[in-house]
Amino acid sequence: MIVPMSAYIVLSIVLLGLGMLGVMRRRNPLLLLLSIELMLNAGNILLIGFSRQWNDPAGQIFALVVMVVAAAEVVIGLGLVVAVFRSRMNLDVDEMSSMKG
Amino acid sequence: MQTTLAWIVLVLPLLGGITLVAWPGEPPRAATRLIGIGSILIAFALAVTIFVSLLMNAPDDRTFTSGLYEWISIGGTSLDLSILVDPLSVMMMLIITGVGFLIHLFSAEYMQNDRDYRRFFAEMNLFVFSMLLLVLAGNFFFLIVGWGFVGLASYLLIGFWYERPAAVAAAKKAFVMNVIGDAGLVLGVLLILRQLGTLDYQQAFANADQLGANSGTALAVCLLLFVGAAAKSAQIPLHTWLPDAMEGPTPVSALIHAATMVTAGVYLIVRCHALFQMSELAGQIIAVIGAATLLMAATVALQQVDIKRVLAWSTVSQIGYMIMAAGLGAYSAAMFHLLMHAFFKACLFLAAGIVIHALHDEQSLNKMGGLKKYLRVAYFGMGMGCLAIAGFPGFDAFFSKDDILATSLAAGPVGVACWIIGVVGAFLTALYMFRLLFRAFFGPEPTGGYAHAPHPSKWWMAVPVIILGVLSFVGGWIQVPFGWTGISDWLAPVLADVQHPLEATNAQVWLTIGFSTAAALGGIALAWWLFAADPQRRIRLAAVARGPREVMREAYLFDEAYDDVFIEPGRELGTVLLDEVEPKGPQGLITGTAAVIRDTARVVSASENGFVRSYAFAMIAGLAVAGVILAIVVAGVA
Repeated sequence: MIVPMSAYIVLSIVLLGLGMLGVMRRRNPLLLLLSIELMLNAGNILLIGFSRQWNDPAGQIFALVVMVVAAAEVVIGLGLVVAVFRSRMNLDVDEMSSMKG
Repeated sequence: MQTTLAWIVLVLPLLGGITLVAWPGEPPRAATRLIGIGSILIAFALAVTIFVSLLMNAPDDRTFTSGLYEWISIGGTSLDLSILVDPLSVMMMLIITGVGFLIHLFSAEYMQNDRDYRRFFAEMNLFVFSMLLLVLAGNFFFLIVGWGFVGLASYLLIGFWYERPAAVAAAKKAFVMNVIGDAGLVLGVLLILRQLGTLDYQQAFANADQLGANSGTALAVCLLLFVGAAAKSAQIPLHTWLPDAMEGPTPVSALIHAATMVTAGVYLIVRCHALFQMSELAGQIIAVIGAATLLMAATVALQQVDIKRVLAWSTVSQIGYMIMAAGLGAYSAAMFHLLMHAFFKACLFLAAGIVIHALHDEQSLNKMGGLKKYLRVAYFGMGMGCLAIAGFPGFDAFFSKDDILATSLAAGPVGVACWIIGVVGAFLTALYMFRLLFRAFFGPEPTGGYAHAPHPSKWWMAVPVIILGVLSFVGGWIQVPFGWTGISDWLAPVLADVQHPLEATNAQVWLTIGFSTAAALGGIALAWWLFAADPQRRIRLAAVARGPREVMREAYLFDEAYDDVFIEPGRELGTVLLDEVEPKGPQGLITGTAAVIRDTARVVSASENGFVRSYAFAMIAGLAVAGVILAIVVAGVA
């Protein structure tokens, strides 16, 4: 079965939109991180879809690179979340505004 | 050989001063004395060696220059760290180190009870070094350096007792007045550099005629240099700092404000005579200022009751003689009087120092009287000094002042006017000096006794006074009219390029001797009649000419006039600027700029609310806007 290219694009747009909404609406940093992952993977799906479309493996390699970067980012993000949780016992990004102008 | 020794003479006092300053902790007094006095003594011995070796050379082989290295070379003009050893600078060197040594010796005892013994000797050595640099400099640049350094040393030593507000104020006043002179000197030297293209003495003097005889440029150069000379040598209108400078310790007054530094202006004019004879008018202006100063200061000295202030005004007056002579072109006479003045004025100041020391810092003549039976050495020194300064026949100023006056008579109508003022000044000099002598050492003891029982001085203080007292008598015999001419012969190589040397005729010399001797004896006699013959007469005559005498006591109100003309308007201008202009002008500009930045920042910083979600929203909104623009551009291109 051949998945049409439009399906990849629609899925990607839906995932990106969900991720954006999540980043803007959620207050829990864990869910924020999840939403960012969602947006990254929306990009990955597009990369892989077009890679298949044009028969060019570069897109798949990019997707692998993005996954590695995303993993590293999650490590740092979770580390920050744990550190904040330890010092404040509270996980709400709106409370973390001590650097405001 | 001579220049090497001169370099050592120059450096020794500096080394002494640096050693004293760098000594860890407080050096023992004996070591301080040894370093402070020893360095000057060795310098004096070397200066004498240079003098003797120059004497053994032929007169036209007594000028040496030595450049240590080329300091600056720019635009075809080079500036060497160089010294000039010639009869004039050696003469000054002998005065500075010789009289300086005696005064250092005197200070060892005089300052014995002061806690800042080390600082005193370090600053005195700094002064001797600076003064040597001033006279040994081989170009105008190092003259200015030495000129500035002596001003600094003078400032430090006038303000030596810095706990006294009067001393600090006097030091500041002296410094400000001297900086006015420094500015004139620097401008004059820059004009020389511009016109003659060199700062080297010998090149500049050899090319002096490029200034143009009696041209405006020559006049400007001479008058600017004279501004420097007038400030340093306390001539009208820059003289008011010198009497106040008496706030310094007495040895400082003797060394800096009598014997050496204040005569630097005379030295400058004699050194630069090649320039000064380019402008006849400048010479006449200088002579008139010198004459006016000598007469003004002599009358002020008559009315002072502070023993040191009498001597200070007398110094102003005597330098007036020298400046007058230098302006008229009687250079060797000016230097002769400079040398004699160094002897007798140092002697007078040190004798006054013994009195002040013995009476525990009492300086008022009203608290003295009858001291001659307690203070024999001071009486001897003061007596010899008074006879010398008054021009009593056979003593120092009899020869040197008569040399100035006789030569003035040969200098045309201005010279004759100066001669008349000089003879009147000689009469006043005798009067005010013997007033001092009679009121301090003769007559009854003051009612209520002395402030402190006078005690005789130790030999440290006595020996310099005795040596200088003897020199006040025999010093003048170096140059005797119709006899021999020691000073003129010695300075002849330096003054060889004087175009119209002044020579007094025999009649002029006899006329001068007659009048000045009469003036001196008349002044002494009047002083005897007023102050010694009958101690009550002074009190009975107190009401005579009270108004004019009050003006003289206040030194013709120069200080008050300067207060009204310069200081008060300056202060008012400052108040206006502070209260009116500054808050609106610069202050408004600064606070206005700050307010604009602050308000802008308040608006902009509202976006920095610290909410991560709103930042994310901004990013996404920005992305959307960028996407829309991209779409429009792409659609437009397509």
